[in-house]
Amino acid sequence: MARIASILIVSAGLTLQGSMAALAAAQQAQTQAANISAQSVSPAPPPPPKYTPPAKGSPPVVDTPEQREAIAKWKERAEQKLAAERQAYNDKVAPSYDFHYGKKNPYTPGNVQVVGDGFLNPGAFPTAEYCGTCHQEAYSQWRQALHSNAFRTPFYRTSVNILIRDKERGIAFSRHCDSCHNPIGVLGAALTADSKVDRSRFDPDGLTCTTCHSVVSLDSTNGNASVKMGVPSVIVDENGDRIPGMVPFDMILRHPERHSKAVMHDFLRTPEFCAACHKANLPSPLNDYKFIRAFTAYDEWQQSKFSQRNPLTFYTADFTTCQGCHMKRNPNALPDYGAKSGTFASHRWLAGNTAVPFYYGFDEQLSKTIDFLRAGNYLNVDIFALKKADSDKLIAPLGSVPYQLAPSETVDAYVVIQNKNIGHSLIPEVRDLYEAWVEFTVKDSAGTEIYHSGFLKPDGMLDPRAHSFTNRPVTDQGEFVDNHKVWTIHSVAYDNSVQAGRSVLVRYEFRMPADANGAVTVTAKVNYRHLRQSYLNNIFGKDHPAYPVVEIASRTRVMKVGDNAPESPEPNDNQDWMRWNNLGIALLDQFQYKESIQAFTEVIKLRPTYADAYTNVGLTEIVWEKYDSARTAIRKALSIDPNSARATYYDGLLQRRLGNTEREIADFSKVVEMFPQSRDARRELGITYYQQNSNSAAVEQFEALQKIDPDDLTAHYNLSILYRRIGKLKEAAEQQAMFVDKKVDPGAPTYGLNFLRLHPEISTESIPWHIHSDLERSSGGPQNGK
Amino acid sequence: MASKANRNQWYSRGSRWVQLGICFFGIPAGAMAANNCAWINETTASSLLGGDAVGQVSAADAGQTTVCTFTQTGTDVVRTLRVTVEIAADPHARVGALAQSCGADSAPLKAIGNEALTCSADDRKGGPSERLVGRVRDQVFTITIASTLKKDSALTRDSLHAKIYLAAEQVAGNLF
Repeated sequence: MARIASILIVSAGLTLQGSMAALAAAQQAQTQAANISAQSVSPAPPPPPKYTPPAKGSPPVVDTPEQREAIAKWKERAEQKLAAERQAYNDKVAPSYDFHYGKKNPYTPGNVQVVGDGFLNPGAFPTAEYCGTCHQEAYSQWRQALHSNAFRTPFYRTSVNILIRDKERGIAFSRHCDSCHNPIGVLGAALTADSKVDRSRFDPDGLTCTTCHSVVSLDSTNGNASVKMGVPSVIVDENGDRIPGMVPFDMILRHPERHSKAVMHDFLRTPEFCAACHKANLPSPLNDYKFIRAFTAYDEWQQSKFSQRNPLTFYTADFTTCQGCHMKRNPNALPDYGAKSGTFASHRWLAGNTAVPFYYGFDEQLSKTIDFLRAGNYLNVDIFALKKADSDKLIAPLGSVPYQLAPSETVDAYVVIQNKNIGHSLIPEVRDLYEAWVEFTVKDSAGTEIYHSGFLKPDGMLDPRAHSFTNRPVTDQGEFVDNHKVWTIHSVAYDNSVQAGRSVLVRYEFRMPADANGAVTVTAKVNYRHLRQSYLNNIFGKDHPAYPVVEIASRTRVMKVGDNAPESPEPNDNQDWMRWNNLGIALLDQFQYKESIQAFTEVIKLRPTYADAYTNVGLTEIVWEKYDSARTAIRKALSIDPNSARATYYDGLLQRRLGNTEREIADFSKVVEMFPQSRDARRELGITYYQQNSNSAAVEQFEALQKIDPDDLTAHYNLSILYRRIGKLKEAAEQQAMFVDKKVDPGAPTYGLNFLRLHPEISTESIPWHIHSDLERSSGGPQNGK
Repeated sequence: MASKANRNQWYSRGSRWVQLGICFFGIPAGAMAANNCAWINETTASSLLGGDAVGQVSAADAGQTTVCTFTQTGTDVVRTLRVTVEIAADPHARVGALAQSCGADSAPLKAIGNEALTCSADDRKGGPSERLVGRVRDQVFTITIASTLKKDSALTRDSLHAKIYLAAEQVAGNLF
């Protein structure tokens, strides 16, 4: 085929012969790549062809008529070749394919779709080595990154194999997982019993370059790979039409703008693109139960300060996308024609996964991942306060106030962990497998341990009473879903993740030394491990090396028996007003409303012109149902900052309580105007209009809300009624069905309770307001986790 | 490259004739089961061997070794890919014992199962051969790729090393 095309081009009098040789080399590399790309350390792609980037702002090269004709012929041949190969491929694989969900849904329970008819042959995807010829930096980073290893790792295979071996389900159901982990396999009909597909071509590369860069549209933000894959193409013609398959490098280098048009859609730079796979649900076709939202880093980002779409965040920040943190531009070490000013957007997608680079020996990726976790001031650890056993008074903020401690005195340490600069929860996504926890130690002046929570036991298991930022999904029998058998999940016994921008208060009780000159060194750390030891044991058995534990953030304070004077803050310490604010946020989330308001009031004392401090008091009082005092606080906030969307939103809620509908509508409308993607304001405005029988206005808000969050239950419920009122019966039925499917099963919490009854060491963690202690109490008290 | 593509097309055409034959004449049920290797499919094995291979599985009773053998027969060459899997009480020791046959050139292989090593297993009379011994938890496996042709351009020493790695990823991945 390539030979024929070569002849055609030569006969057209073009100078693409050199590029044909380059293409042949690339094709050879592609063949070899199928052999070697699985290796931990892949050989580099062939050296890039010579290229001088056009001067900035220079117009695209204009082709001669002969060149245009040659490209048109190339395109025609490429399309014919693709069509023939795709048809032959479908003839081969379709007859034995298990269309479990019907011929129209070959990829269900995944949401991925593909342009054209039938399965897409894996050979249609140019390999990473082809792309890597000119993008050597991207290639070398990608090879060590999670995306290239999305399928092949033991950490994934162990989970998905359980689903494949499940007698009631089988490999067809694994399309749910592989739509994101191995899309070429899904689109290529590999996921069927008695597969006729050569898996060595794509399994080792997981998400290769031409999976992400071949997506042509985002269908929704529903996740589970809700994208449409185009026929892979690395260039478009002069009309913008895609030319399938590989082309000679010269063709790309002559028209880099056409290459960009084919592979660099604007949506690649948006969080919505990441949402396609970093948002997942467990649909009823998978679990025979009902829709369960599995995780959604995208919605967490959308609700964070970094999206600038949510007026209700406690703090503000510059707009930052997923790519802004996980694809930062760095100087490129290898030649890469995609580099701009010598920098390239990282294709390492640094995040939290240390297990994959550890297993494969990708030392550079591992070290950069650890650096990433430790950098960025993502978390703030604050040993904020002490409370003596015989007093209700809080000694706070530590470091700023003097205090005395007596020998053998029992104290509670208040540790506030702030999810300060993560654009999603701590920890995100697969919380049943990842493990972040607080390690809290108290040592005397001789270095002897007085108290230790959050230790690792000799077998590698975490202290079961540690404060961990994990969850416990359970089955309908109340058993922990230890092996990531997600289709058995019916409920969550607890979820101690910390949402973006919020804080958590962790309390530890210990006793000061008896020595009158004694002192203790108190350290609180947040550690992270990828993955939980019991899951690693499930994968490898117990004889595996210890996987890395990364200390993300920590703080140490020394406390003396006797007088303790104020001390200078450390560079990463928050200012005192923010320390109080974080305590207030943590207490609010732990339903300690009175104490929360006291903390926010301390913020007001330190920053009397800070409107949000009053809003924080107001919102806590709204939650506490003390509307009159809430009104006073919100009025004060609005008097300081009349354009505060946050205070205006809460004012809207308070106006509703008073029956001031016009003010209520004005408030929510103002917030919507300022933050068109505020799901809360849209929802409340929709409810207001609904209550006023303003059907079309209510529909407008709920439809807008559904575009922001397709799972919003209020929108489903109200639209099902509103559509019926206005005669849209089909749409009403659809909304009703989605509401019923997505609504939490009222019986589900009992599954979690069954688990907690059987696990008292964890049940304490499910209570928001709890204390960690090893001290014996007359009432019995918690058992030592050791 | 073009000739390689043509060759693949030829194989494709060949396999279509085989499929056609199957449609007309059917095949014994036992032979259907024989191709059903749990750890690597026939198409993947064919790709690694460089041509259409026929698979056969000897399913083991409990405690015994299961063997998948894929054979690709050419005009002057027979290439095989053989996979064995067994459950071992002391899997690490069993890997060591099986590795005894490897000789001095064995090398540990990273990121295959819990542990793995590979070595050449050339038969003096035959052609090149590569062997891999590894385990996933207590499942010990071996993979052997061999050719009867002394200088087999489809299975050179370098390509054998790469191919056995790909085979091992399939086998170990399915054993996890």
